[in-house]
Amino acid sequence: MVMQLHDVTFTYRNAKEQTIRRVSMALEKGEIVTILGQSGSGKSTVLRLIAGLEVPEQGEMVIEERTIFDAKTFIQPEKRGVGMVFQDYALFPHMTVAGNIKFGLKKMKRTERDERLASVIELVGLTGFEKRYPHELSGGQQQRVALARAMAPNPSILLFDEPFSNLDADLQVKIRDELRTILKKTGITSIFVTHDQADARAIADRVIVMEKGSIIKTGTPALILS
Amino acid sequence: MTVFRSIRRRTNSWSILSILFTLLILSPALSIFVQIFEKPNENWAHIQEFLLKNYIQNTLTIVLFTGIFSILIGVSLAWLVTAYTFPLRRFFKWGLILPLAIPPYIGGYTYHGIVNYTGIVQSTLRNEFGIHANPVFFDILNIPGAIFVFTIFLYPYVYIITRAYLEQQSASLIENARLLGSGPLELFFRVIIPISRTAIIGGASLVILEVLNDYGVVSYFGIQVFTTAIFQAWFGMGDVGTAIKLAGILMSLVFLILFFEKALRGRKQYSYSNAKVRPLEPVSLSRKKTTVLFAYVTVIFMLGFAIPFVQLFQWMLLTYEKVMSPEFTQLIANSVYVSMVSAFIIMAVALVIGNFTRLSDGILSKAISRVTVLGYSIPGAVIAIGVLTFFLWLDRRLNVLYEWLNIDAPIILSLSLIMLIFAYVSRFLAIGFNPVDAGFDKIGRSFTEASRLLGKPLWRTFIQVDLPMIRSAVLGGYTLVFIEVMKELPLTLLLQPFNFYTLSTKAFQYANDEAVHEAALASILIIFISGLSIFMFHAVLEKEKR
Repeated sequence: MVMQLHDVTFTYRNAKEQTIRRVSMALEKGEIVTILGQSGSGKSTVLRLIAGLEVPEQGEMVIEERTIFDAKTFIQPEKRGVGMVFQDYALFPHMTVAGNIKFGLKKMKRTERDERLASVIELVGLTGFEKRYPHELSGGQQQRVALARAMAPNPSILLFDEPFSNLDADLQVKIRDELRTILKKTGITSIFVTHDQADARAIADRVIVMEKGSIIKTGTPALILS
Repeated sequence: MTVFRSIRRRTNSWSILSILFTLLILSPALSIFVQIFEKPNENWAHIQEFLLKNYIQNTLTIVLFTGIFSILIGVSLAWLVTAYTFPLRRFFKWGLILPLAIPPYIGGYTYHGIVNYTGIVQSTLRNEFGIHANPVFFDILNIPGAIFVFTIFLYPYVYIITRAYLEQQSASLIENARLLGSGPLELFFRVIIPISRTAIIGGASLVILEVLNDYGVVSYFGIQVFTTAIFQAWFGMGDVGTAIKLAGILMSLVFLILFFEKALRGRKQYSYSNAKVRPLEPVSLSRKKTTVLFAYVTVIFMLGFAIPFVQLFQWMLLTYEKVMSPEFTQLIANSVYVSMVSAFIIMAVALVIGNFTRLSDGILSKAISRVTVLGYSIPGAVIAIGVLTFFLWLDRRLNVLYEWLNIDAPIILSLSLIMLIFAYVSRFLAIGFNPVDAGFDKIGRSFTEASRLLGKPLWRTFIQVDLPMIRSAVLGGYTLVFIEVMKELPLTLLLQPFNFYTLSTKAFQYANDEAVHEAALASILIIFISGLSIFMFHAVLEKEKR
């Protein structure tokens, strides 16, 4: 198991009801899981809890056999080894493509860093764009930079929060297919959050359906989305 | 158990520093509250019996009438400029803000210089027309005179906020009222005033807070109000206890006004709608009406800016060579130095607190951001008393340390520039905090979260990601604070170390020593710097709109 969540519960401040109710899940190495749900179902919150951007009330979370959360432990986001591609990409506007991608590569020699940059940038098909700034790129290209940046530090797990919602429908289909190819090629374990069944069908090995903060169904896309 | 855990998880250097800074900022106000109930002495008994009623009466009279006249002038100008065309409209749109560049105390002694016996008005009447007017007619050193000065230099607060509000209103609202048969006056009173209520109250409360903060005008005009009484208790009687009691009452008055402002505004906040509405197009009036309108706008502009400015400029030309000396250069250096240091500290504190409050959602962070902006509503004299008593207490606590270090002085901090700078930080933090807060608000949290997930802790994230992204807000805030400190008077007068003067305290001293002409150079410099502040503020505002 790469990651395990056990009975995780969370309530937003000032919210009357629990946002996440005793959610448990486990991910195998290299697996691509999609969390499907309506807005307000708590699917994005699950990602934020895994990333350490919110603190659960109770439960337990383990990534690569290291406890990142339980009654006594809370590992800060920067120490979890989790990558995330944000809905709005969150590319640093004052840094170039290369600067953005190299941002997370600490404790590496300069040559190693350059090699890593070259390899991820090739993987997402943006070789030659290193010196551009985010605002000089199209939406699809920005998305790829965000992916390259999240993958560069080699995270144990990669999280995607509605990554296609800002793209045109045509581009969405193209990038979706490319993304699956890239993820399978690198073998990174990933979780996608989406409200679009077509996304889930195209990309996931397994689908988890959430409603009102609880998991109500889980299984292969064929089984769940038939 | 869970609460304890949650506190532990949220504790980091940002939260600790923010709480520490907030406690320090609160300390002056707290030290007043602690000492306000201490046993009164005979000075207080005397003030309470014979003078307090007078202070309250004078303060309330000035506040009330300045408020009313500022609203009348500010709102009418805002509406006329927005709704009608007239010659030089674009110039006046900005020009009518300019009176704000003249601090009321400068305006006050300038007007006195213009209308007194040797001033241009009476001497022209005497020499050119042989008219020996009754000097009483020209005496402005009284309450109506102070109300005139405050109104003419502070009405722009109401004008700016109301105009900005009206400009955002949809044209169809006004057109509908016109189609429903409202005449211009009815439209103004039945539509414009009610819809701009929140803006008017917002602007008027700024005017009132400025009036309560003032020491220069009332002291020069010889009017007994709270701030002058605080100065007298402190400098005249050396009685800090009485000064604290007076400061306490003044502070309660300020809180009462803030409370009323909130209550009057109701649940409506200033509604800056983002939706693109069709803005109101100004219409033209008949020739006669246009002439009246133009005359009104011109008179206000002349009184609020042109006349005092031209007079000061002429005085400056007369005294320039005499005033311009190495001491004067030192004065500029002093002002620039304290302003730069204070602005730097304020921006650093604002950044720490701003970053903490945006990253945590708790009640604590909300409370901290409220407290941060509170200082600006508290009059300078009150802050000065609070800061002084706090520093005296601190000096007493540090006495052991001084002895251990072989320093032969019982008080060090309370005689130093540190105390003055601390007081500036306490009073002007809001001015630095607001742009920082708006800047953070604009960038949101996702960049920070992205950086942390890429392995950077909070401090590194702040240096490498957050700070570069809100750079322009920080620079804007720095400039605004710098200028405010430059202009500040009451707090500086009370807390400046021995033999340390700034441009504003020197200008005020000249004026008080009946050397109004000599005060002109420093005054013109202050006006120039304030003008720059207004320009900056609007440049930032325009940028924000885009």
